[in-house]
Amino acid sequence: MNKSITKYNRTWPIIFLAPFCICFFMFNLFPILYSFYMSTLDWAGYNEKTFVGLTNFIIIFTKDTTFWSSVWNTIRIGIVGFPVAIVLGLIFAALLSNVRRFKNTLQTVNFLPYITTPVAIGMIFTFIFEEHVGILNKLIEALGGTAINFIGTARWAPLVISFMIIWKCTGYFMTMYLAGITAISDDLYEAAKIDGASRLQSFFKITIPLLKPVTVFLIITSTIYAFQLFDEANLLFANQSSSTVGGPNQSCLTIVWNFYNQAFGANPRMGYASAMACVLFIIIAVVSVIGLRVMNGKGEE
Amino acid sequence: MKIAKSVLQAVTLILISLISLMPFWLMFSMSTFKSEMIFQGNPLIPSNYLLENLKTIFASNFIRSYANSFIISISVMVLSVIICSMVGYAMNVYNFKAKKLVNMFIMMTMMVPTQIGIIGYMIEMRNLGINNTLLPMIFIWLASGLGAYWMVSFVKSALPIELVESARIDGASEPRIFCGIAIPCIRPGLLTLCLLQFLWSWNSYMYPLVFVNKAENYTIPIFVKSLASAYRTDYGAQLAGLTLATIPVLILFIFGSKSFIKGLTAGAVKG
Repeated sequence: MNKSITKYNRTWPIIFLAPFCICFFMFNLFPILYSFYMSTLDWAGYNEKTFVGLTNFIIIFTKDTTFWSSVWNTIRIGIVGFPVAIVLGLIFAALLSNVRRFKNTLQTVNFLPYITTPVAIGMIFTFIFEEHVGILNKLIEALGGTAINFIGTARWAPLVISFMIIWKCTGYFMTMYLAGITAISDDLYEAAKIDGASRLQSFFKITIPLLKPVTVFLIITSTIYAFQLFDEANLLFANQSSSTVGGPNQSCLTIVWNFYNQAFGANPRMGYASAMACVLFIIIAVVSVIGLRVMNGKGEE
Repeated sequence: MKIAKSVLQAVTLILISLISLMPFWLMFSMSTFKSEMIFQGNPLIPSNYLLENLKTIFASNFIRSYANSFIISISVMVLSVIICSMVGYAMNVYNFKAKKLVNMFIMMTMMVPTQIGIIGYMIEMRNLGINNTLLPMIFIWLASGLGAYWMVSFVKSALPIELVESARIDGASEPRIFCGIAIPCIRPGLLTLCLLQFLWSWNSYMYPLVFVNKAENYTIPIFVKSLASAYRTDYGAQLAGLTLATIPVLILFIFGSKSFIKGLTAGAVKG
């Protein structure tokens, strides 16, 4: 018997894990490692490669203000967008959990933004927030205000992207929370009611603490998502002249957009872009380790 | 008092839903306009130019692009879901020494965004001689870290280990147990992952941007972008293309909605 169990536990796990590991190594890990190597090169993608050692990194850390402002832009867009979406998602889920009729319809409708193609989102948001013909500005003017150049100014444009994130993610977060709430036993609320707790009290003392696993999951996934921001920012300016990189004053230049532009833009610097990818990798690794700690902590509880 | 409260609640929910629906509706409604007219009239009320817009896109490369997007997304969906559910099965059914390590590894794969390696990936594909095909846009999605993580926690909650053990005693082989017992048990999770992988690869924008360099390989997002030229951007046609592009995901989602949401949350809540 024992022998047969060892038989199961030797070869079969390898066979079942092999496709994933092979694919991961070939298409995900190897390219990253190759990028590490390329980060020591000065290379445009077609000419002779020149080995430059750590020069690329030294430039990033000492001279490249664009890189650091792209980090700051990404953080700013994310920090305005995701917490709002998470809080709104939680509130809407709490509201919706009491609804008897149309619950599924409402849930589906609010999930729609998540499945809409980013290209469409970018275009529609341009049409809504455009300075002269945008729907929002028409509305503002009709109400007697003056039009605001939402997309063309560095002050507003990042906020528009944050709003795109909120619009896109709230329904998704809501769905996650809603299922979390459904999993909470009704007895808890009954008991709280008998003890004289108000609905608001039981929301703060029962619902929120018990939803912690969902919250942790959402925070981690949205942090990862935030560092990859590209589509929303890039597509908001996609229909303008192709020379605009990063929106007004580059206020919407996210890390990945900056990286993409360095690697595949008009003046490709593959080596330098790879070095940027490595720095990004380190930033994300640090965030991930913290995230893993939190998640593992969740498992021990 | 109670009625006032529930009215307020209903109004809030309807308002939120309208905000969610609004851009969606605008996309459809604006696709029925002639480009030059979009900003003249009221874009909330559909116009009569939809057929013309559809003619425009069907006259160009639309069908080919649509087919390409389908080929990519279906391949990604089928392959990556099989790969990920195999991981989920292995991590729950077997006991092996490196299990903790593999678990850590899966967590790491989930955290590392694939865009970071895209330059290396492009050069790898170029050296393999397949950078002018659709394959790079498929391969990149196969080892989905999130998918694997998901299936690990889903299999844990949905597949009773006793079932596997009794099947073994009955002499079933491991692949047979996987296909005949594990897969049916984890169907909602599989469906969810299928939808997500389809959705992500269907809507993917950056990889096609890097890898598509000729009209035969256009995917829908790139096709839509190609409708914008320096002289005239045909917004109406672009939006008509995008509306058509949303239909498959919409159908998948509406039909799979119930088990999709169930599976979606099972992964997160229990994980």
